[in-house]
Amino acid sequence: MTDEQPFYKNPRVLFLILVVLGSIAAITVSYSNGEFYIGSNLKYGLDLDGGSWLQMRLQGAIAQIDADPGKIIQMDFGKLLNDSGIRIEEVTADSITFITSKETTQKTIDSFGFGTSKVSGVPGGGTRVTLQTSKDFLIQKYLKDSLNADVKLITSNSGKPPTFEIRKAVTVDSLNDILKPVDGKVVPPFKQGVTKETLEETEKRLADKLNPISVKQITITPIGDNYLLIDLPGVSIEEARKLALTPGKFEIRIQVKGNETQHVLYGDQIVGVGVPQKENGVAWGVSFELNDEGANALRDAAIQYGAVINPGAHYLSMYLDDSLVFDAPLAPELAKNIQSIPVRNMVATTGTGDLGQQKAKELQLHLRAGALPVHVNEVGSGEVPAPLGQKFKEQIAIAGIIALLLVSIVVAMRYKQPNIIIPMLATSFSEVIIILGIASLPFIGLQLDLATIAGIIAVIGTGVDHLIIITDEVLAGGFMPPTKVYQSRIAKAFTIIYAAASTVVVAMLPLIFFMDSSALRGFAEITIVGVLIGVFIARPAYAVIIQGLLVETTDKGEVSED
Amino acid sequence: MELINEKAIEAYVKNFSLRQMLIIPAILLLLSLSILTYTYYRTGSPVELGMEFKGGTAIIFDSAKTPDQLKIEFQNYPGVEVRQYSGGERKIMEFSPMDSSLKDELVQKVKSESTNPDTVETRDMGEQFSTSLQGQAVRAIVISFIFMAIVIFIIYRTLVPSIAVVISAFADIAFAAAMTDVFGIFLSLGTVAALLMLIGYSVDTDILLTTRLLRRKGDLNIKTKDAMITGLTMTMTALAALIAMFIVSSGLVTSFTRIDIIRDISVVLIFGLIADMINTWMTNVGILRWYIGKTQQVEKRIEKPKKKGRKA
Repeated sequence: MTDEQPFYKNPRVLFLILVVLGSIAAITVSYSNGEFYIGSNLKYGLDLDGGSWLQMRLQGAIAQIDADPGKIIQMDFGKLLNDSGIRIEEVTADSITFITSKETTQKTIDSFGFGTSKVSGVPGGGTRVTLQTSKDFLIQKYLKDSLNADVKLITSNSGKPPTFEIRKAVTVDSLNDILKPVDGKVVPPFKQGVTKETLEETEKRLADKLNPISVKQITITPIGDNYLLIDLPGVSIEEARKLALTPGKFEIRIQVKGNETQHVLYGDQIVGVGVPQKENGVAWGVSFELNDEGANALRDAAIQYGAVINPGAHYLSMYLDDSLVFDAPLAPELAKNIQSIPVRNMVATTGTGDLGQQKAKELQLHLRAGALPVHVNEVGSGEVPAPLGQKFKEQIAIAGIIALLLVSIVVAMRYKQPNIIIPMLATSFSEVIIILGIASLPFIGLQLDLATIAGIIAVIGTGVDHLIIITDEVLAGGFMPPTKVYQSRIAKAFTIIYAAASTVVVAMLPLIFFMDSSALRGFAEITIVGVLIGVFIARPAYAVIIQGLLVETTDKGEVSED
Repeated sequence: MELINEKAIEAYVKNFSLRQMLIIPAILLLLSLSILTYTYYRTGSPVELGMEFKGGTAIIFDSAKTPDQLKIEFQNYPGVEVRQYSGGERKIMEFSPMDSSLKDELVQKVKSESTNPDTVETRDMGEQFSTSLQGQAVRAIVISFIFMAIVIFIIYRTLVPSIAVVISAFADIAFAAAMTDVFGIFLSLGTVAALLMLIGYSVDTDILLTTRLLRRKGDLNIKTKDAMITGLTMTMTALAALIAMFIVSSGLVTSFTRIDIIRDISVVLIFGLIADMINTWMTNVGILRWYIGKTQQVEKRIEKPKKKGRKA
């Protein structure tokens, strides 16, 4: 910086002006479909625009679990084959061989869904079964069946027990109780919560479900590892609860005669849905899994109405919220199987080619619409009706104006010189504009709600303080010093400012990292953004401006403080 | 009119002894801590927990009925409490946690009952979630304080001045928290935000003071006085902004409806900054002067007749 150069040509000042102009553009101009629009880009929160919010907890746990695969086979097949004397012959990494005293077929064993099997008779009665399966899979299946919930394998390292995501509320104790009969237990670590993928999947499914039925854009924000916050603008809280927490009603019915159908089961008995896949390399289909109750219901209905004998006359039809989404007859093979045993795993075939694939994708969504990947429960909610939000907005604006006035009065009483007061207030004001500009950038999208506005006012408070530090440091002794002294004083002022700003930033960090509250997170984020803008953009420019303006006055005489 | 009377500050800096400077803040800190302890014994928490940390449902609405009448009318819902909320007909009803169908029924009943159904505000917190928030809030405050202290130690790298700053900040927070107890403000998300803000912000004047006193040459009294003028200006501008926020959000002015989160933040920060004036310019000045006197062992302040840089 040289003395000849006027302050308004200084790069720091130019940079501030540029950023302010950019911010004004970010606030007022939007671009879509090749055209520019003028209008406010500020996004207001529910407490200013009106609407309801729901915070939901995703119930689940991530646990490392060990168990004896042989015991699981004995337990499960003991029940399925009604044989308490199952003998395990051999357990390897990818297969298990056991002997049952019952006569059974490969088809029956396969229908249990434990993997492909080899079945041979044993001399002297009974059957030897070799299952292509693994310990991880068996534990997963055991947990799924006993918890009646979806269980996903996350990691399986050889040598260490596998880690699962259990999509249901469980505790270490409840898991240990379930695992006791198969010599299993939870091996810490155990964590309440779900994986990031599950959180995202739930978020996506909720969005798919809610956005079509809402007039305004619904936003869903993940908070921490286990929570989703749903903002429903313009919706009352009773309505919000109904929309978000009631699953769609999915139903499977069976054709009795002509148009007459009978209820078989509801969507809550579908425990798993696969991705669309080509069955036998030709037709597309979606696999889904029923729980025991559902499998029994289907079997009973199929037998009762004769679908097992004449599948073609007794279609199975699927309804979502009472409208038909899919119907097809039982496959002949399934019809035969189901007669002897309840079938839990089946595939709905939708046809060949692109059309079949498209239909399979839709059906997959429908099958799932009844249930989110995990159970959720409401942990918090609230409603601010639009007229009240409007009133809040007005009051906040008034608060801003009064604050500006009072701060101006204090600053004016202290400094009495327009060429200090005006740059000071202008710098603070430019900070507000930059914060709002950054908040309205499309890829940042910080919304303005009561908490963030409180944050902005707080930031402006600290901002003015820092300008006061600069001013007083520069004016120490009452004179505008020569440039060299000025430089060292500015440096001193900035040591104080950097220190003060860093304490504010670190003090706010725990709100972002340790609290599952979006309001507080917004408050902390905007405060940190504001402090950084002030420290790195606005205050350096102010230091230059104040020097430029005061040099002019000093030429005329001394700077007087009294 | 002068914002700050320089003569008075000069006299204060010159005449107040170390003991005088420490005794007032010490009494204040003791008082704050006793209030917090008393509240702890009364409620099980040093600051009384609000709905956000206890769980339950709060409904804010307009009704011509008195709180007592409403209490009888809604007695079938769990744990009903009714209070006047702000001026006019605004009331707040609070309930213990209940299941969601009952909640829907309650909200509908209130909406049909209210004289102004368009302005019925509801807030609801699950019991388990609010308990976990409670733990998180305590953790956030403790960690925030530790972070702040670490930054202070990194900046000054000397024990006594750093401790002086940290003690002042602690006393500010204790006082602000104690005042929420005195004025019946429950711990809310807003007060937690404000307490954290206070942790980061109240040390600003302490940093100013410490840096000026330790890193500048010159007469100690003049340095203290100058720092004090700057610092008091800072605190006053901040107070001005906060008072504006409080006026508009407190519900005390009838044309404004109460806005809890803004009110909570402004009240906590106002009390915090009032305490900060005392703690910075008494506690911190006291400790720092004692420290500087001890390390330099030359500063014998008997009389300082010479004044440099007289101001016009």
